Amino acid sequence: MNRAQKIAWSLVITISTGLIAGCLAFAVLYFKVGMPRALAGFALIGIAGLGGLSSLIFRKDKGKVAFDERDEVIKRKAALASFASALLFVGLACMIPFFVLGPNAAISVTWLPNIWIGAFLTSFFVHSVTILVQYGWRNKNESK
Amino acid sequence: MSQNELKNQIRRLRFENGEMTQQQLADLVGVTRQTIIAIEASKYAPSLPLAFRIAKTFGVPIEGVFQYEGEDS
Repeated sequence: MNRAQKIAWSLVITISTGLIAGCLAFAVLYFKVGMPRALAGFALIGIAGLGGLSSLIFRKDKGKVAFDERDEVIKRKAALASFASALLFVGLACMIPFFVLGPNAAISVTWLPNIWIGAFLTSFFVHSVTILVQYGWRNKNESK
Repeated sequence: MSQNELKNQIRRLRFENGEMTQQQLADLVGVTRQTIIAIEASKYAPSLPLAFRIAKTFGVPIEGVFQYEGEDS
C-alpha cells in the first residue's frame, strides 16, 4: 500500500466517522433538546478534520521511484471525480431548496458555509474512494 | 481499449532473465513495484515509452512483451 492509499483510507475513515457521529449526535439531541439546538450535534463532523493530519503522519514512500505514470493517471481521475462530485453537491444544494421551498422562499445565509463544508467533504471523500478503487482496495497478485 | 485486451509476457520474461524480481524490474524501467504488478495482471496498460523501456530491459521487441488481443486483432 503506497502513501496515497494510506492517506485515502484515513480520509475515508475520518470523514465517515465524522458524518456518522454528527448525524447520531443530531438525532439524539433532536429528541432531547429539539431544534434548533440539535444542530449543534453536527459539530462532530469536525472529526473529519483529523484526516488532514494523515499527510503529516504518512511519510514519503521508500524506494527508487515513489511516483510514476500510473499514479499520475490515478491522481488525474481522482481529481476529476472529486471536482464533479463537489459540483454536483453544490448544484443539488442550490436546486433542491428552490424546488422544495418554492421560488419566493428565503433561506438563511448560514446555509452557505454549510454548503461549502459539504462540498469540501464530498470532494475529499470521492477523491479518496476513487484513489482506493483505482489502485484496488488492497494489493492483490503480489509476488516476487 | 480495455486493459484486459493487452496481454503480456512480463512474468515469464522476468524468470527467464535470472529470476528478476518485480522491484528490480520496476527500478530498471523507472516505475513503482505496484505498477509492474498492475501491468503483469493486465490491470493497467502502460504508456508506449514505458512499454518500450520494458521491452528494451528484456532485450526483446515490444511485441515479444505485449500482445493485443482485441476483437480487431
